[in-house]
Formats: sequence, structure tokens, C-alpha cells
Amino acid sequence: MTEADPGDAAPAPPDRRPELVLAALVLGLGVFVIAGTADVAAAGSTVGLGPRFFPLLVGAALIVIGVCYVVDVLRGGRGDPEESEDIDTSVPSDWRAVVLVGGIFLAFAVLVDLLGWIIAGALLFGGVAWALGARRPARTAAVAVVLSISTYLIFVKGLGVTLPGGLLEGVI
Amino acid sequence: MDSFGLLMDGFATALTPQNLLYALLGVTLGTLVGVLPGIGPAMTVALLLPITFTVPPASAFIMFAGIYYGGMYGGSTTSILLNTPGESSSMITALEGNKMARRGRAAQALATAAIGSFVAGTIATALLVVAAPAVVDLAISFGPEDYFALAVLAFTMCSAVLSRSLVRGLASLGLGLAIGLVGIDQQTGQARLTLGIPQLLDGIDVVIIAVGLFAVGEALYVASRLGHSTPDVVPVGRAWMGRADWSRSWRPWLRGTALGFPIGALPGGGAEIPTFLSYAVEKRLTRHKDEFGKGAIEGVAGPEAANNASAAGTLVPLLSLGLPTSATAAIMLAAFQQYGLQPGPQLFDHNPALVWGMVASLFVGNLMLLILNLPLASTWARLLRIPRPYLYAGIVLFAALGCYAVNNSWVDLVILFALGLLGFAMRRFGLPIAPAVIGVILGPMAEIQLRRALAIGGGDVTVLVTSPIAAALLGLSAVALLAPLARRRFSSRA
Repeated sequence: MTEADPGDAAPAPPDRRPELVLAALVLGLGVFVIAGTADVAAAGSTVGLGPRFFPLLVGAALIVIGVCYVVDVLRGGRGDPEESEDIDTSVPSDWRAVVLVGGIFLAFAVLVDLLGWIIAGALLFGGVAWALGARRPARTAAVAVVLSISTYLIFVKGLGVTLPGGLLEGVI
Repeated sequence: MDSFGLLMDGFATALTPQNLLYALLGVTLGTLVGVLPGIGPAMTVALLLPITFTVPPASAFIMFAGIYYGGMYGGSTTSILLNTPGESSSMITALEGNKMARRGRAAQALATAAIGSFVAGTIATALLVVAAPAVVDLAISFGPEDYFALAVLAFTMCSAVLSRSLVRGLASLGLGLAIGLVGIDQQTGQARLTLGIPQLLDGIDVVIIAVGLFAVGEALYVASRLGHSTPDVVPVGRAWMGRADWSRSWRPWLRGTALGFPIGALPGGGAEIPTFLSYAVEKRLTRHKDEFGKGAIEGVAGPEAANNASAAGTLVPLLSLGLPTSATAAIMLAAFQQYGLQPGPQLFDHNPALVWGMVASLFVGNLMLLILNLPLASTWARLLRIPRPYLYAGIVLFAALGCYAVNNSWVDLVILFALGLLGFAMRRFGLPIAPAVIGVILGPMAEIQLRRALAIGGGDVTVLVTSPIAAALLGLSAVALLAPLARRRFSSRA
């Protein structure tokens, strides 16, 4: 329902399967919203509408939008990748960096309570910077340690935010 | 008391040493995130939400408003010196601004942007003082069906306007609405879509949603295709605006303000459209047509005034109706809710010190921003030399900190990552992020108003259209959805 007509597709059509997955995800989410709220009892609402009504609307809308989206992608419609000053849309995606950043972040999520903010935060910063291509490991490590210690001091001691001490509990 | 008297009281709130400090902190942070790529005012306000919970609401909102205005100033610095806008609202500024800088007129471009932003921001804030109470007077008669229709209008407008593709804008909105459903239904206490995870019973915190979609999504997207060219920052030089620059700037400033304020106040209006319009108007009206495309000062002055005026315009529906028209406004609405406040007529009645203190601080903040940006632009530009791996690693670190601070739970960090993946996919396939954020925050309110309206009507759906205001707003929503379709049909026939 948007953009290019099927006739003027590019000579070598790019792979549209990933975008189709996202479109199908929107469609599937609509089904999930309706199915997932099917067992919500309409208890205590004698007047007006129960807790299922709005999810039903949202789910139905998602299904309609999802179908239109799938059709649009199949007919050759493509979303423009967002532009930003650090983005080079001409190069193919660097999946290694994405997987590395994702893995490092998930490892941080699991380990932060055990290791504490200072150690886990320094590893997170250093790891992500390395995954994004930081050179000079010694300088990266120094920046990581200074940042994680200074954020801990500012936010915990200064602003009263709770962050885990972990292994360094009591030391700092 | 009239608006003027209330505003004077507001200045009494804004000018306390503590609040001046928060305003200064806000505008400095705002300029910083405006200059830096990958991080914007919406995400910054979201990250600060859990941290500012101990701060009195007036001070917090003075800081948030400073961040919002500051982001508009900071974005222009990058546009002019680097040809790459820090914010989407500064895209147009780059067209002429960077050409001016390359011709050795960087200082004049920065000056007309900063002074234009100041002039526009001050006039638009004065318009806000007049317009907001007028809208409040109108809003007192609004019923739940009218508020529901307003939310629908905001949904459809932002989906239709923010993306070149309507279906992608709507898909983003739908994702946001679905995320907003997670948690306990406020009226009946029933759990919805929680997948049996106890941490989801309270819903997904708006901080985690915003930071996930914006910060983590951006970091993953940048990881996927980081440009390896080093940025080329134009040196600023020392010259000052000459008489000709002034005389070519002041009319575009005023015209930009006249476009930015009303469009910013409209649902889905945002800051981008008025900057485009302002550029088009200046290009048509200028007596220096040959300079357009090579660095015409009008092409910097007008759009920069327009984007600052639109920021003030956005605050009119936010404060008087509780209706967010941009991602940053949506996050600020969430901030009000965290303090247990509901923007709208009641806010003006019950918390005049907060509302007017915030409005008064905008005047103060504008002045601070002029001082921060005019002589210091080249200092800010130096920030652009931060190596990109460090910048994005730092953004990820602060994202993790802000989200962990919400509940001290590692589960939140996993949810944050999942939302980051969604934000990455949305960027990769051209789904705008703002409709999702507006859907998450405005969706639950739309639901409450809809159920309230239908309860009053005894289940009769026609109550939604019997109010003339609601009918008109829903009609406009239909136009917003149908216009792109009609335009396409028309253009394919031509």
C-alpha cells in the first residue's frame, strides 16, 4: 500500500526475506495479543468493557497492519534504513560486531549482580568498545576503569542510586 | 490570577539558586546530547527519570525542559561544522549551514543559528504563555470521548507523518501499543500478556522501553555498519555577523518562528516539517537565490528558528491536554505520571507553581543556551572527535546504568536488550521509532478514556462520535490515514 509499484523493482532484487520476517512478526504479534488475552477473565466489570476489549482492538489492528506490511514487502516495497552520521549504508552489515555487542551485553546482564557495577561495567565498556573496533587496548582499558569507578562514585555516593557492589563490596 | 501574574510567580520559582542550577545542568546536558550523535533529548530524559526521583518535580521538569531546548541548539552545531545533523530536526540546517562553513563563514552560520534559536525560543515561549491557558479553557469541557479522539489523532498523525511509508509508521505504532498492554489492567487488576513472568506484572517500565529502542537499538545498528571515515570538522574562525548578515537573518527568524510554533503544537507536527517548510519559504522569498545550495544564511536562520519554536509549540498540547506530539514530549508525559501528576486542566489548577516555574525557566534556559552556544560552539564541536567506539560503548554503559537503577533487576537488562534488538530491526527496515514510543505511553491512557466513554454511554458506541469535538478529531484522523493512499492513487494516475 505504499512506495514502489511492482513494475519498477531494481534489476537485481535485494534479499527481502529479513524484512518479511519483521512484517510477519507484526502479524504474529497481533495474533499473540488476541490469543494471549483470551483467558483474561472479565471479572468485576459489570458496567462498560472488560480488560479484553482494548487488546482485541490492538490485536486486530496489528493483524490488519501486518497483512498490509507483508503484502507491501512482497510487492517490492522497502523501508529505507535510518540514516545517521556514523552509519555507512553502503557497506554490508557487520554481523560479527552485532553478535559481539549483543553477547557482551547479555553477559553483563547476567554477571552484574555477581561481579558488581565497577568490574562488570568496565568489562561492558571495554568489550563494546573493542567490538566496535577500538584500537590501543591499554587506553581502552584505562578509560573503561575510570568510567566505571567514576559513575559508581557519582551515582551511588553522590545521587543515592543503588548499584551492586559485587566482589568489591566493602572495598570502595 | 491572569497568566502574566502566574508567570511572574513562575519566575520566582525558576530563579531560586537550586532551580537555576538544574536549568543550567539541563541546557548543558541538552547541548551535549544535541551535539553528540546516537543520543538525543528523548533518551536523555528517559535515562534521567529513575535518577531524578528524589528531586522535587518542579526542578526535574525545569531540567527536562532545558534538555529539550538544549538539544535543538546542539543539533545545529554538528549540522554546520560536520554536515551531519546530531538530530533529525537539524537536517535542513546542514544543507546551507555546512556550505557556509566550508566557505569560511562557519562563525556567521553558528551565530545566526544560535541567535535565531534564541529569538524563536523566546517568542515561542511567550506564545506558549498565551496559548496554553486558552487551550486549558477549551479542554475543561472535554469528555472522555474527546480525549480518546485526541489520542487517536496523535496516533494516526505521527504514524502517517514520520515515515515515508504509512504501513511502516502504523506497524511501529502497533508494536508500541502492544508493548503498552503488558502488565496489570488498571481497572480490573487482571494480568495481561505477562507470559507468567512476575517482573512484567507492573508493565515494562517506560525508561526501559525508551532506552532499549533508542540507545541499545542505535548501538547495535551502528555496530552493524559503522562508517570508518573520520569526521571532518570545519574550524570555526573568529569573524562575527556583519550588517548584511543581520538584515538577511531577522525576517527568516520571525518566519521560522511563525511556522515552527503552530506546527509543533499539532499532533504529528514535530520539528522536521516546519524546518522543511521554512527552508522552502526562504528559498522562494530570498533576493539571493543564486546563493541557495552554496551557503545562504537565510537557509540556516529560518529552519533553526523553526525547530526551536516547534519545541515550545510541542509543550502546548503536552501541558494543557496531556497530549504528546513528539518522542521527547511522550517521555516527559511519562515523567509527569511517575510523579503522580496528570498534565491537563487539573495540572494548571493544582500545580501552578510547577507549570509556570517550568515555563519561566524556558526563558531563562534560552538565555543560558545563547551564552553557552555562541562563544563556545567550537568547544562543543571538539566533542565530535571522541572515537566512535568509545562514544557508543559509553552510551551502552549509561543505558545499562539507567535501566538497572529502575528496579535493581538483571531481568530488566535482558528486557532492555530484547527491546534493543527490536529497535535495531526497526532502524534497519525503516520503521520510525517515535510512533512506538507514543503508542507505549499514550496507549494505556487511550484505553482508559475509551472504556470510560463507553461506560458512560452504557455500551453504545455512538457516544464516540456524538460529541462534535470528538467527531471532528476522528474525522481528521481518518484524513491522516487516507491522504497518503489518495495521494498515491492520484500520482500513479498522473
